[in-house]
Amino acid sequence: MSDSDVMSENIIQLENVDKFFGDFQALKNINLSVKKGERIVVCGPSGSGKSTMIRCINRLEEHNAGKIVVNGHELTSDVKDIDAVRSEVGMVFQSFNLFPHLSIVKNLMLAPQLVRKVSKAEARDVAMKYLERVKIPEQADKYPSQLSGGQQQRVAIARALCMNPKVMLFDEPTSALDPEMISEVLDVMTDLAKEGMTMIVVTHEMGFARSVADSVVFMDEGEIVEMNPPQEFFENPKSERTKLFLSQILTH
Amino acid sequence: MSFDIALIIDSIPKMLMGIGLTFQLLFLSLALGTALGVMLLILRISGRWYLSWPTMIYIYIFRGTPILVQIFIIYYGLPQLEFVRDGIFWPILREPFGCAIVALTLNTGAYLSEIFRGGVLGVDRGLKEAGSALGLSVTDRFIYITAPIAIRLCLPAYSNDVVSLMKSTALASTITLLDMMGIARTIVAETYAPYEVFISVMVIYLIITWAIQRTFGWIEKRMSRHVRQ
Amino acid sequence: MEAITGWWDDFFWGSLVVVELFFVALFLTILFGLIGAGSKLSGNKTAKAIANGYTIIFRGTPEILVLLLFYFGSAITMTAIAQIFDPTIKFVDIPPFWAGSLAIALIIGSYATETFRGAFLGVDPGQIEASRALGVSNLQTFIYVRIPAMWRLALPPFGNHMLSLIKDTALVAIIGLEETLFVAEQAIGTTGKPFTMYILVGAIYLGFSTIITLSVMRLEKYANKHLEVTR
Repeated sequence: MSDSDVMSENIIQLENVDKFFGDFQALKNINLSVKKGERIVVCGPSGSGKSTMIRCINRLEEHNAGKIVVNGHELTSDVKDIDAVRSEVGMVFQSFNLFPHLSIVKNLMLAPQLVRKVSKAEARDVAMKYLERVKIPEQADKYPSQLSGGQQQRVAIARALCMNPKVMLFDEPTSALDPEMISEVLDVMTDLAKEGMTMIVVTHEMGFARSVADSVVFMDEGEIVEMNPPQEFFENPKSERTKLFLSQILTH
Repeated sequence: MSFDIALIIDSIPKMLMGIGLTFQLLFLSLALGTALGVMLLILRISGRWYLSWPTMIYIYIFRGTPILVQIFIIYYGLPQLEFVRDGIFWPILREPFGCAIVALTLNTGAYLSEIFRGGVLGVDRGLKEAGSALGLSVTDRFIYITAPIAIRLCLPAYSNDVVSLMKSTALASTITLLDMMGIARTIVAETYAPYEVFISVMVIYLIITWAIQRTFGWIEKRMSRHVRQ
Repeated sequence: MEAITGWWDDFFWGSLVVVELFFVALFLTILFGLIGAGSKLSGNKTAKAIANGYTIIFRGTPEILVLLLFYFGSAITMTAIAQIFDPTIKFVDIPPFWAGSLAIALIIGSYATETFRGAFLGVDPGQIEASRALGVSNLQTFIYVRIPAMWRLALPPFGNHMLSLIKDTALVAIIGLEETLFVAEQAIGTTGKPFTMYILVGAIYLGFSTIITLSVMRLEKYANKHLEVTR
């Protein structure tokens, strides 16, 4: 298989990526490729670089060395490429980051209208369609602060989906939520996976990883320590660090 | 020493004749100062040192010196310079009213740009990131996300600055303008009754301050009506 | 520039008057601010009402008006009192220095009242509870926990009040105090160079503002030095 074939098959490709914050190296020689339709769960202790890695994928952080290719665009400082990548890669944040001054439906309509230049009516139709998919169409005209955390995160997912992304990145989407709201968000994410969406999910929800992921990536101290299908990952972890992490997270 | 009620009743209408000038000074320099403040803000956060540095120096100078000195420099000082007398702005700078507007605008613009900057810096980084992640351009992010949130954040400080500006308009009386303060000073010079006249005009100023605060309180309430307390 | 030569001495003494005025007014400002904040936080309704009236009036009135009211008002009152004892007296005033520092301190003190009040309320109640739970007395808690936490909160806004204060000293020239602006007016009278002289006054004030800004920055650093994160 030639190099370009590998490229076209992998929707996301990270090669030897390094990232520094001052003197601190947050990512060390990261290599990761994600195929279309693949679901990757990334886990690891806090400060291990997992959030930094997915933030590099849509260039919310700039990597310092190595190569990142997303959907055929290599991430450089070229603004056009970045905007193209960002509009095709959806992102869901830990803290929702809904725009507090816009109603729910306007939160969903903003980017399609500005970036995709679709008409107001069309943007509204698309927004309502996705609000129905995350099961809160009745909240359309409320403001973010009037919704529960779980509802806000579902809105955030719908907002990303409105751009019709090819890949969805989730940065600890449930860790800011009260326990009783976690499942409503995970349900939406599971549905999305079933429909064939390419997803990279940073999470500690191991149940979700087991049932949805194609592979689980374990990161520690800026490195990818282990990457395996969930069965293998949980039953038969290779490295000591993975074992330690799993023992800590699974007993709690 | 007595409190002359007749003098108060007599002088209040006279001083109110100056309220129009006070309002002209206030609204004109507020509008111009707000525009200047936005311009300075954009230069300041442009990320280009040759734009942001001169802006910072400008802001530093105008916030670091008394407004009264600024007024004197513009009204008494500038005519010393020949190129000012020959320049295109001479028709404005020749008149005390023009000078007062220029001084108040330059001064309040410096303060407002810092207030606006505070608002912009106060916008949660996550919201700007969410905008980026959706593919919004820098300009769109500023117009549709940062600016509307920043405006809400800096409204209280803006309202305080409007009150400060209103108080500064009284300094126009030092360059011969007959605003409310100017008229009050004239009456005191004639009657030598500072208590009656100054306290009356003080009450008028307090009412204006109260009205400004009420107006902005109402605007704030309207703007944040969807934010749960 | 050569117009200034011969006036350096006067500007120096004028600047010194500004400095004196600043420190006297600063002391009074802190005093009024603490009294005002204490009254607002006290349970006493009368004290609260007076303090509220104080901040409303002095924050809502033009500074120049407060100053002129003070100076001319006090002159009228003093003259009237003096005439009781000696009807031949025509005019008595309190020195512009004192009228000026009192007026400025009352104005800035009204802002300081709100700052001190906010800082007092801004101290994390958990810290107070923790201290009380350890058996530390109320007074000791106040001195060792509340005050140190409070001045750290009050310092940045108080720095701004000090800048307002130094700039307001320029107003006192209007009632004839011989500070820099007043010196400039005299110098203009003989040299006919208003631009030069007023720019010099501006430069002097910019110097004072810079000194205050830098001092406040140092103080803030000192106040927060143990809060710095070490890597």
